[in-house]
Amino acid sequence: MGNLYVPCRAVLEQLGVDYVIPPVNSQRTLSLGSRYSPEGLCIPFKMTLGNMIEAAELGANTLLVPGGYGICRLGYYTRVQEQILHNLGYDIEIIQLGVSERKFLGMMDIIKRVSNDSPWRRILSAFRFGLSKLNAVDQIERIVQKVRPVELIPGTANQLYTRAVQAIDNADDYDTLKRVKADYLGQLKHVAINEQARPLIVGVTGEFYVVLEPFSSFDIERELGKLGVEVRRATFISGWTKFSLFLNPFGINEKSRIHKAAYPYLKRDIGGDGWESVGEKVLHAKEYDGLIHLAPFTCMPEIIAENIMPSTKEQMPVLTILCDEQIAKAGVLTRLEAFVDLLERKRRKQNDQLRVTV
Amino acid sequence: MTTVGIPRALLYYQYYPMWKTFFEHLGAEVVVSPPTTRKTLTEGASRVVADTCLPAKVFVGHTVSLVGKCDCIFIPVIRSLKSKTYNCSKFLGLPDMTRAVVPEAPPILEIEIDINRGKRRLYQDIYKLGRHFTWNPLKVKEAATAAWQSLLDYRELMYRRELILPQAMEEITGESQTGLNMILKSQTVPPTTIGLIGHAYLLYDEHINYQLIRRLQQYDATVVTPEMLPGNIIEASVNKLAGKAYWTYEEEVVGAGGHFLESGVDGIIGIMAFGCGPDSLMMDMVHRHATRQKTTPFMCLTLEEHTSETGVITRLEAFMDMIHRRKQKGEAVCV
Ligand code: SF4
Ligand code: SF4
Repeated sequence: MGNLYVPCRAVLEQLGVDYVIPPVNSQRTLSLGSRYSPEGLCIPFKMTLGNMIEAAELGANTLLVPGGYGICRLGYYTRVQEQILHNLGYDIEIIQLGVSERKFLGMMDIIKRVSNDSPWRRILSAFRFGLSKLNAVDQIERIVQKVRPVELIPGTANQLYTRAVQAIDNADDYDTLKRVKADYLGQLKHVAINEQARPLIVGVTGEFYVVLEPFSSFDIERELGKLGVEVRRATFISGWTKFSLFLNPFGINEKSRIHKAAYPYLKRDIGGDGWESVGEKVLHAKEYDGLIHLAPFTCMPEIIAENIMPSTKEQMPVLTILCDEQIAKAGVLTRLEAFVDLLERKRRKQNDQLRVTV
Repeated sequence: MTTVGIPRALLYYQYYPMWKTFFEHLGAEVVVSPPTTRKTLTEGASRVVADTCLPAKVFVGHTVSLVGKCDCIFIPVIRSLKSKTYNCSKFLGLPDMTRAVVPEAPPILEIEIDINRGKRRLYQDIYKLGRHFTWNPLKVKEAATAAWQSLLDYRELMYRRELILPQAMEEITGESQTGLNMILKSQTVPPTTIGLIGHAYLLYDEHINYQLIRRLQQYDATVVTPEMLPGNIIEASVNKLAGKAYWTYEEEVVGAGGHFLESGVDGIIGIMAFGCGPDSLMMDMVHRHATRQKTTPFMCLTLEEHTSETGVITRLEAFMDMIHRRKQKGEAVCV
């Protein structure tokens, strides 16, 4: 999912585990996944199923799947997915990496098992290394989000980004990693940009998987970048792992701030990321020009959020985009353009009003 | 006197007798919205985004129809009834969603039931709910005990006497369940037994399932429902089919399905709402087992507001015909 493979590969490699990384998400992944999924399931299920099938084709016999900490989350998925795989004739064991609060110890056991009993020190250092890679990728991504809308030569940032991820993936010790990171951060700083531009700021929120996996959400961030819009998003993989591995109390604070904002409109965690979606709208209404809400088709928590969002006192235009393999990208892009137009007009009007009052 | 409104949707079917007892013991009056109609559904659907599941739309429709008829509306949130099981997001967000889409609704009485937080917390929550009506904790306790008892009685009617839910509801509340006075289970052993699986709010809302139970009875079929099965049996089959239960209402689908597969009913019909996350997984689970087992025919009806009535009827007919044919053949083989 997204760039999650980078740190995972790092960990497994350091531990000397025999692994296959399923091919990057492609149309094939999605069609495989949807072909064998029961009707009416959400896109994360289909994608992960597709990944599993592709991994199985490559001969994997054990699958590591990060489980969620939410209610609706992948908790039940794997059971059904395992059966589907068995029915397809793959003899496969699925191990769920339950990264929820209390399961931390259990997870350590699993890791120990798949790593053929490596000593703890080695496991820990492998993890540390994986996490640093993750952080590096995220750091670069944040800068890319800023550069993309204002670069003079369109596409520069994206190119750098792709290369950076690759280089980070290839780095095999801390020194290289550090050098690569500094190198690309420097390059990004020197991308020629339009200094005068004051790009629109649009937040991206919604269900975790589609927010982080561009393939499943029409590559929305890049498309927004092309339209000259700066993207802000609170969900980063590193934030998630930090949160779930309890390595970073700050991650928790950020969450609880979002929850507090949502409280007047939604009092409790409803599973998935519905609570966060509502919270982000409330919290950032002043800061952002608009919000893109990514919701997998048939996703229960996001439907609730979508129902609640229009009623908040804090106003901000929200565009909900449903993610599903049945939905055509062209249509989504048209809606996106219309949305950005609307935001632009709104901003111009505000500016005019300001001028009048001055 | 305060009037408490209860929408005839979702959890109503399983818990209404309990709620009614509770509020009436506290001196409140209880009104229930009238049975679902075309109008309820369109009204509900017009308030929420299109992808909301059918039962939630129905729920909103019922809430709207209560506006002006009561002083408050009771919408409980059931998070978890057993440790480590979770309920569908729609239930968890129900009060907040209703507030957002029915702004004209009277105040909403909420209570969150979550066994994981411990008994003490549960009692506190119940007391907090009772506080709206009386300051006297003893009275609340009394009401809660009586309510619990009526829930037990209600369930017993269903699994001891094998009453279908609406019949049990009628017997215990004394309120006629409009249009649902179904043929009592006939005592002469009828030729076919059909196991129904699905949530109560789909099985017993005649408007949205096109009178499924009645139609089955017209085929002379005896209908067995999840509520007729004792808890321990159901739990055992959940564990067998899917491992430890994950969803709060998994039993009425996976549990009942598993049990029916083994107990030799002639066919199983599953009912689910389109786009329902939990159900699509659970029905699939049952389906896979049925396919593997190869002896019990299984059919899953997916309902949404645009489901055509004729479509449902046709499928039902085909399914029943198939079962009859199978039975005849089977008997011929035996002879
Ligand atoms: S939160 Fe939504 S998309 Fe994610 S698993 Fe649940 S239903 Fe699927
Ligand atoms: S369980 Fe399914 S049908 Fe029931 S409220 Fe949730 S999504 Fe809707």
